[in-house]
Amino acid sequence: MWIADKYIDHVKEQTVEHPGDSWGKMLLGFKANKFRMKLLPNKNLSKGYQKLETMMMSLVADSLGRPDSYVWGNIFSPCEIIKCFGLNTLSIECLSCYFSGYHLEDFFIDYAQNEGIAPTLCSYHKTFVGAIDSGAVPVPEYAVTTSLSCDGNLNTFRYLEKKKRVPFTFLDVPYRDDEASVEYLAQQLKDFAVEVERRFGKPFDVEKLRESIRIENETRKELMRFFRLQSERYYPGELISHLYMMMGMHLMIGTQEFLNLIRFMIEDIKTYPKFEGKKILWIHLLPFYQETLKEYFNTNEKYQIIASDIIIDSMEEMDETKPFHALAKKIIRNLYNGSYSHKAEMVGKLAETLHPDAVIQFCHWGCKQSSGGSFLLKEKMKEMDIPMLILDGDGIDRRNSHDGQIKTRLEAFLEMLESSDEEEHAEKETKKIC
Amino acid sequence: MLGYICKYAPVEIFESMGVEMKRIEPNVTNFNQAEIRMHPNICSFAKGVLEEMMSGEYEGVILTTCCDSIRRLYDVLREEFPDKFIYMLDTPRITKDAGITLYEQRILDMIHEYEDFSGKTFSEEGFLNYIRGLQEQQQYAVKDHTLNIGIIGARANESIKKILKENNANVAFDLTCTGLGRKILVDENELLTAYTRGLLSQFPCMRMEQAANRDELVRRSAGSVDGIIYHTVQFCDNYAYEYAWLKDWLDRPMLLLETDYTRQSSGQIRTRIEAFLESLRPESSQPEKQKKGDKAMYVIGIDSGSTSTNAVVMDQDRKIRAFSVVRTGAKSGVSADRALKEVLEKAGITREDISLIVSTGYGRVSIEFADENVTEISCHGKGAHYFNPKIRTILDIGGQDSKAIRLNENGEVKDFVMNDKCAAGTGRFLEMIARTLEVSLDELGAIALTSKEKIEITSMCSVFAESEVISLIANNKEKADIADGVCHAIANKAFGLLRRVGMEPEFMMTGGVAKNPGVVRAVEEKIGSKLYICEEPEIVGATGAALYALERV
Repeated sequence: MWIADKYIDHVKEQTVEHPGDSWGKMLLGFKANKFRMKLLPNKNLSKGYQKLETMMMSLVADSLGRPDSYVWGNIFSPCEIIKCFGLNTLSIECLSCYFSGYHLEDFFIDYAQNEGIAPTLCSYHKTFVGAIDSGAVPVPEYAVTTSLSCDGNLNTFRYLEKKKRVPFTFLDVPYRDDEASVEYLAQQLKDFAVEVERRFGKPFDVEKLRESIRIENETRKELMRFFRLQSERYYPGELISHLYMMMGMHLMIGTQEFLNLIRFMIEDIKTYPKFEGKKILWIHLLPFYQETLKEYFNTNEKYQIIASDIIIDSMEEMDETKPFHALAKKIIRNLYNGSYSHKAEMVGKLAETLHPDAVIQFCHWGCKQSSGGSFLLKEKMKEMDIPMLILDGDGIDRRNSHDGQIKTRLEAFLEMLESSDEEEHAEKETKKIC
Repeated sequence: MLGYICKYAPVEIFESMGVEMKRIEPNVTNFNQAEIRMHPNICSFAKGVLEEMMSGEYEGVILTTCCDSIRRLYDVLREEFPDKFIYMLDTPRITKDAGITLYEQRILDMIHEYEDFSGKTFSEEGFLNYIRGLQEQQQYAVKDHTLNIGIIGARANESIKKILKENNANVAFDLTCTGLGRKILVDENELLTAYTRGLLSQFPCMRMEQAANRDELVRRSAGSVDGIIYHTVQFCDNYAYEYAWLKDWLDRPMLLLETDYTRQSSGQIRTRIEAFLESLRPESSQPEKQKKGDKAMYVIGIDSGSTSTNAVVMDQDRKIRAFSVVRTGAKSGVSADRALKEVLEKAGITREDISLIVSTGYGRVSIEFADENVTEISCHGKGAHYFNPKIRTILDIGGQDSKAIRLNENGEVKDFVMNDKCAAGTGRFLEMIARTLEVSLDELGAIALTSKEKIEITSMCSVFAESEVISLIANNKEKADIADGVCHAIANKAFGLLRRVGMEPEFMMTGGVAKNPGVVRAVEEKIGSKLYICEEPEIVGATGAALYALERV
């Protein structure tokens, strides 16, 4: 999210002084960044990740430029339905990341906390509430959120509905995975489609939704192929590349454009050399700004993040003949829903397929559903004989991530991985001699 | 015996089967078990329930999918007690028919599983007879001639009600989780459906979609009371949203009170509640005290803080005759004796000349020679008004906490906020940093004024901030610049408190940290206004206590 530093400082200063007067400048920065990425891509990155970054920048810059072209969602909102009306979904979590491109997260977070929002709430939600509540960012006509995967969703959207009058649809995702749950959610999704139809005066075409589900099935299969290749080949990316991938898999899934990109990446990665370093399966969010983690995981031939559960949180083959039920099932069986053993099982499957050398879970400040089960996942990984590291920090607020602590823990863990390698090697040698 | 935590739990179903149901109300001294099994950033209530389950004689627990922390609590309990009936009841957030149908189905499933687990059986007839016999529970109880307080927010444990009762305040209603009486709908023709509908139509909590009608219910309930305690639980974020919304329009004094379900914070909670009640009570309702002699009149106010114990002798003309400031040692009682002895010597009078002594501060209840005690918040208000009647907003940064207090034109407290159990932004924090920088506390403020380069200390936690300072030292940064950065970090924290209480000029700063010119400058820059600081900013609380004493003689 590079924009000329001086411009960033200028916009930040303006926003802090007069929230609301600087929106034009913020938007201009996003648009400028989109063109910069097209014309002068980050050469350190592989071509696929360059294209992915540009695609996501365009999604945000183009949508924000036309307030009637998008709705707010959370990351699990059914973008497939929204797309049927020609609308984009901008998730509040991703928008917060983009605002932090102007280093505004601290101002927005403090603003929200001073209004009375809990300091222990997820920083993505605090950033978003602060951005909107302070008047720095304009609002769209409509919003939709699911109860998955955190308590903040319903409350953030409800708060903004009251304070800024953005009406929203709330989709209650049941905890249990059974027929009754699927029926319950499918009906809500149908009602949601009717509501969008009414609000935006555009007809709903179920055939479009079916087509989108066909593409979605294909995309998920292709993505797994890409992940397998990424565990074999060195494909330069950055921490933020994985966030962009998560964004694509949640906000653009079901579009031909995104499927084409994954297919391009599959072909592209084959031209890269074999990866000989440590393969990391990442769990939960990635603090894209964090110095030490950037040093170890941004374009590093020794350590590569080969996949993350936030990208492939749903592994459901969807039935296009019953599109609403298919979407309901996908959301209910998402690894963030239900019990932690469900999540552990799905992460376990991912590990079986991709054979990572280690798992790292990043416990994001304020995320109870993720942090709360971290010890259980560690147990599961122990059973599978995969070393796991738990890091504490904040995905967006630099003030909650302490570099010294993260550095010590990470380096000790990586040293541990290296030394167990040496031990194994030594054991083999001993056996040979014997 | 089965435990439960949530008002949506179908308690009566189990009771009709002869099961004893116990609402879990954790009151623990530590989170030793929870810290091994759960991440520290989980809601304190969930951690408390885990502790309770580890020690209690429960055959199981009925949890609901009420929030993320409870979902994870379920996972941990399942792992821990495979042989107990640890049940997660999937509770819909929608209360319309679709929600009722789903919930009824879920309740039936649960009954079957419990029958299998326990060997007991559920019968509709027995259930009908049982709920028919239940008395309707009272919801509201406003009383005349006393302060009526309503509690709203996240589940509040009994200690809050106990403190209110001890201070002669009536709890008129409790709209927190399990505070209201249960609503049971009885309809023979659709027994379980009606019962489920009744459960879901209780006063909605913040996880329910329909929580929007809360506004109307809160507005109506609040109209009947003198003040509201808005309760939140540490690491439970749902209710803070409502507080942020209500504070803009609810026409009643409201105290935001965060607790963590341990006994450790009871002192702070007591101070806050008592200060709130003091701000609601008109002066005349205070009980009159007997005069202790008929010679010249002197009173003493004594403020027992964490860092210093301060005493003020005042005469009947509201003149300060002497004051003393002594460091608080390991025992607050001993320091109070010393402060008393010193101030009497300075004033040239004896203990017998004193008509009344009012204590304040954290140690106020441990001062045996005091006749009465008043919280330091009310005392600071009174003291500040005494020194400068134009003051409307006070920033008090003491050794272990910091607070912002808003006053009206009579010096009465209208609102206040305190930082939570955390050293960030307090005098302790400055002491820690001064030690790290190897300067005295006095020097720290002075050298900050000579700073040339702007350094930002970003860590919000004082432990992290200390490591950050150590890194800055390692990077060869100038002491003056680091000191200035630290002063600005404190000013930022203070600004947050001041914003929350409302930024009405003029401003006064009290407490030991007001003697630090670096912090004072940084706060003034941040608020864009001058701070009034009296000659001895540490005695404002004691002065207020002395004024209270005078009023009561």
